[in-house]
Amino acid sequence: MRYKKNKIGTIVIHIAMIIGGLFWIYPYAWLIASSFKPSQQIYTTGLFNIDFTLENYNFLFDSSAKLHRPFVKAFFNSLVVSLSVTSIVVVTTSFISYGLAKIKFYGREAVNGFILFQMVFPAFMFIIPLFILIKKMGLIDSYSALILPNIMSGWAIFMLVQSYKSTPGEYIEAAIIDGAGIFWIIGKIMVPLNKAILSIIALNTFVGIWDNFMWPLIVMKSFDKMPLSVLLAIFSKEFGQQYVGPVMAGAVIQTLPMVILFILFRKHFLNGISVSLK
Amino acid sequence: MKILSLKQRESLVGASGAITYLMYSSIFWFYPFVWLLILSISKWRFIGKPQIIGLDNFKAVFASEIFWKSVGNSFRFMGFYLPIVLTLSMLFAVGLQRMKIGKTFVAMCFFVSSVASGVAYSIVFSKLFADNGPINQFLYSNFGFDIPWFTDSNFSMLTIAIMVSWKMVGYYGLIIYAGLEAIPKSYIEAAALDGVTGIKRFFKITLPLINNQLMMVLIAAVTISFGIFTEPYMITGGGPMQSTITPMVVMYEAAFKSINPTLAATMSIFMAVISYVVIRVSKKLMEKEVDLI
Repeated sequence: MRYKKNKIGTIVIHIAMIIGGLFWIYPYAWLIASSFKPSQQIYTTGLFNIDFTLENYNFLFDSSAKLHRPFVKAFFNSLVVSLSVTSIVVVTTSFISYGLAKIKFYGREAVNGFILFQMVFPAFMFIIPLFILIKKMGLIDSYSALILPNIMSGWAIFMLVQSYKSTPGEYIEAAIIDGAGIFWIIGKIMVPLNKAILSIIALNTFVGIWDNFMWPLIVMKSFDKMPLSVLLAIFSKEFGQQYVGPVMAGAVIQTLPMVILFILFRKHFLNGISVSLK
Repeated sequence: MKILSLKQRESLVGASGAITYLMYSSIFWFYPFVWLLILSISKWRFIGKPQIIGLDNFKAVFASEIFWKSVGNSFRFMGFYLPIVLTLSMLFAVGLQRMKIGKTFVAMCFFVSSVASGVAYSIVFSKLFADNGPINQFLYSNFGFDIPWFTDSNFSMLTIAIMVSWKMVGYYGLIIYAGLEAIPKSYIEAAALDGVTGIKRFFKITLPLINNQLMMVLIAAVTISFGIFTEPYMITGGGPMQSTITPMVVMYEAAFKSINPTLAATMSIFMAVISYVVIRVSKKLMEKEVDLI
């Protein structure tokens, strides 16, 4: 009797969870559907009963060049900046963390302590003085303004140092006896053995830079160099009322790469949660 | 001899990485930090040399009605956000734990919203929750009423809290789920033998055992509450009647619209202190040392 009750409960929970899950991705589905709807149909709930059209995307790719809102360029701006920051962060993090985790030198613990101390201060405190610094360096409205302040991350170093520490020292000693240099050790031993955490660092950095809005809004002035997030925001504020459809298409282009990345690397995203718990 | 020199060389390499980081930090962390302190006691409008004026900026922030309005809004946001997001994440985690098939699919459905880009999802929700948008059309045709989601000052912040909850429930929920999974089965069985089941078991046994995870979620949620910028900037512009203006929006406008960076910098110091205190207090109130024997 009790067994039966439990079974019904389990079925109910399954149904509720699946309905909840579908409900949760409805905004995504609605976004994609409405990007293929004619503008006057956008404010409807339907996902499939639509007059399929590509005019929103065509508008975005063609006419926005006439309005001088270059979305294709912006997409590649975002891609180049996010990829550069991510690859530089991965390289700097894997080298700096090696010293902090595996090599004994004077002041090492002080540096590790300093990194923890830095993480106490919220990022928003630095926005205005960082803007002044970038201005003094003459980097306003350049890709460097988006890349330079992000090429090393205390958080990433902290995470990787923890992970490096648990890599057995024997591997390294054996390599040293074989005459391996430090770059070989990092590139051929440490990085492959700590791939899981490095991919979490890479994914978080990539998504974070792609999604970054307030900082590029402040430092980027010309439409040609803007990342997609800022151009889309400006376009939506200027033309959002007349051109609802193209705005939705722009939102799809801004969202979809992250969703694809998420689906491809879902294992690593899930890993990231269990790692951040340690 | 060779080994010693190798050791020395090695520690030099190790230290050089640390030095690189310290040099980078001194430019992009320490230098801005000093500037922040100088700005907070100066009068300056991005041109010329800052003039030291003492504590006038601090007085100005104390007297700034819009700043305190925005701080109040942050707390209002938390008042909506924390209960909504904690309840939903908890339900999601408990439900997920009871699932046998389709677990990964459901987890992904909830988790994928965490990569939604701020600007894009603000656009999507501004349309979904528009006065004549899909949600109101659905409500009106099925229940005969609609809700002024973004256009009524009583609802606007709640709507933003709903949006942010949509984004974060999967992430928080999976953290809680990881905590639930880590509870040894024997505890639950022991509780069942003592006749502790259902709601009572949940509150007396499960909740204390996932205290660490709950703390993590709580702190993450509080931190987010003070950093809200994109949603009001994109959707409401801080309105209606300043009901969604947040400290980040006030700071942004003070620095780059009113060209008053010194006031904005001082506000950011206030905000850092406020968020630190709130996190400290919530830790004090919620954190429990749980010993697993």
